[in-house]
Amino acid sequence: MDRVNRFACVLVEYFDAAAVERGEPALRARPLGVVNVRVDRPSAGSPAPKIAMIVEANAEARAQSVRPGMTEAEARARCPMLVTRPLTEESVLSARHALLEAALAVSPRIEDGGPGLVYVDTVGLERLIGDPPAIGRRLVHQARAVGLAARVGLAASRTAARVTAARASAPVTVVPEGRERAALAGAALATLALSPDLAETLARWGVRTLGELAALPRAGLATRLGPAGLRAHDLALGLDHDPFRPWTPPPFWEEAQGLEWEIDSLGVLAGVLETVLERLCKRLASAALAADALEVRLGLATGGHHARDVSLAYPAVDVKPILTLVILDLEAHPPGAAVTRVAVSAHPIRTQPGQGGLWQPLAPAPRDLVSVLARLAALVGTENVGSPALVDSYRSDAFTMLGFSQPEPLDRRSPDVPGLDSRDHRLAVRRMRPARRVDVEAVGARPMRVDARRVLAWAGPWRASGEWWDVEAWAREEWDVVLSDGALCRIARDRLTDHWYLDAVYD
Amino acid sequence: MAKSVAPIRGEITEIVGKPSSGRTSYLLACLSDVVSQGETAALVDAEETFDPRSAARAGIDLRRLLWVRCGSDRGVALRAADMLVRCPGFALVALDLGERVPRLPPALSFRLKFAVRRTDVALLIVGRRRLTGSSAALALETLREGIEWTGPGSVPTRLARVRTRTRVLRSRGQGSEDSPPLWWTA
Repeated sequence: MDRVNRFACVLVEYFDAAAVERGEPALRARPLGVVNVRVDRPSAGSPAPKIAMIVEANAEARAQSVRPGMTEAEARARCPMLVTRPLTEESVLSARHALLEAALAVSPRIEDGGPGLVYVDTVGLERLIGDPPAIGRRLVHQARAVGLAARVGLAASRTAARVTAARASAPVTVVPEGRERAALAGAALATLALSPDLAETLARWGVRTLGELAALPRAGLATRLGPAGLRAHDLALGLDHDPFRPWTPPPFWEEAQGLEWEIDSLGVLAGVLETVLERLCKRLASAALAADALEVRLGLATGGHHARDVSLAYPAVDVKPILTLVILDLEAHPPGAAVTRVAVSAHPIRTQPGQGGLWQPLAPAPRDLVSVLARLAALVGTENVGSPALVDSYRSDAFTMLGFSQPEPLDRRSPDVPGLDSRDHRLAVRRMRPARRVDVEAVGARPMRVDARRVLAWAGPWRASGEWWDVEAWAREEWDVVLSDGALCRIARDRLTDHWYLDAVYD
Repeated sequence: MAKSVAPIRGEITEIVGKPSSGRTSYLLACLSDVVSQGETAALVDAEETFDPRSAARAGIDLRRLLWVRCGSDRGVALRAADMLVRCPGFALVALDLGERVPRLPPALSFRLKFAVRRTDVALLIVGRRRLTGSSAALALETLREGIEWTGPGSVPTRLARVRTRTRVLRSRGQGSEDSPPLWWTA
């Protein structure tokens, strides 16, 4: 196996346009211009004119001579079929993060080279993935998974990899070891992004390509241009001396979509949310993460915001149940005005996918469970759906409600799980919530009639008290009674107020 | 649990009876059977009378039980049960309708019947009287037969146990023998 080159460069050309195409994939086949409105200085007696400028164009538009810096009118004159979209910083930022996360799925050491540019340290990946072309193909695949078409160059230095990726036409190009200088020789000097003064000086000398720069005597360059000249010479030779600055993912994952139009219908908003969630879920899936909770922020036409926190009952990366959950929440809490911007951020957690045991019983699929829990929460309220948990208290009805999640598979060897045969039958009670106040006729302490029903048999009293150190102190006297209508009840006398209550019915 | 009263997967089972006849104890025993085998169960509680402490004493792992409280709205309870029986993976969905059982349109009975057949969920309905007619594969009535008291002296201070038995009201495809009496410890 060949030695793996040290760096890969993942390059997405015309990145602002690629970010827009990511949100609207149908635009990839059409000439697209990203426009930004420039406000010129106002003339006397007239408001400031607004001019839409092309700030980026995709390959289709460039093939028809549309270039950044043109006015929209000029671009349309060259390309009548041009589609324009406004520049939205959110979508560019989302796409940039998506590209970084896609690269991070291949190597733990990556560097953010700017919009549409990621450097990947590939040392050691050959044992995991394969030879350099295989690493390049993996990077292209990961970028495509988050909606970006990338080219990858692999070389011994970041500059060599970047220039190779920029000049290549194939998705993956590998520069063999020791051939960096030759690979860069034909590249234009502008690919190095030198300072304007240095670039102008070299242009005056007649240096047009990196090969011509590399051929200059190093000592002479140092004398005439100083350290900047030596650095440019190193870059032209394919040598990087700048430190590698590893990029770590931010603690939040967000996707956003700016809208040209106002949305005042939840049905239409669902379509936009689905697009945004698809992008977010693809990003999470590419990093083997799942969303635990979502924050949905809607920009409103009034200038305000409508923010909702949507917690998922089960970590998920499936768009449909998450979309259902978000829509149900927005139905319950609709925005106060038309929506002009949609942003969704996810709280990611790492999930452990695993195969169920052969003898493990069937459980609801996470996707189905999330969906049914969301529907139940919309029907009865979030606080009324979940798993009960007992509270350490002497109060007979002390419990708390926890969110329901798929429990771990049962361990048959666990001593906590009683065997079916060893369990005896326990009598249950039906609680009165709240405990119903009843009229009790008593002789001494013993109840004789409960709400005009005769007490046929009785047992008690059973005294209990608690929380005497707190304002919620309680003390009660419980009686088990059989009433004349056949009901077997537990009634209780509050010793603080001397009121009687029907606490529960044995059933 | 006695085999004759176990809810049937993919069918509707009804347990009816007077108050204090042991319906809820049977319900919890059925839930306990399911949960102790590592399966997942749901309880739709129309009147919010479910007692988690009784359930824990009956051996139910509460983490495996989805409890839906319906605020005494039986229409909501029926809709919640309808949602749950359409979710494959639940072994048992129990619908406790309490004492005031609503009228159930025949169309809804058939809807529930076909839903549980499709998802192979056992639907157990507990109430005062029968509700789903011929859609139920098994219908049982609980009857109380005796009570025992306990206490340190001659005067009892606590309920000790209750004896009940079940009578089969309807059985499709199963034996129709009544179950032997059972003692339920308080």
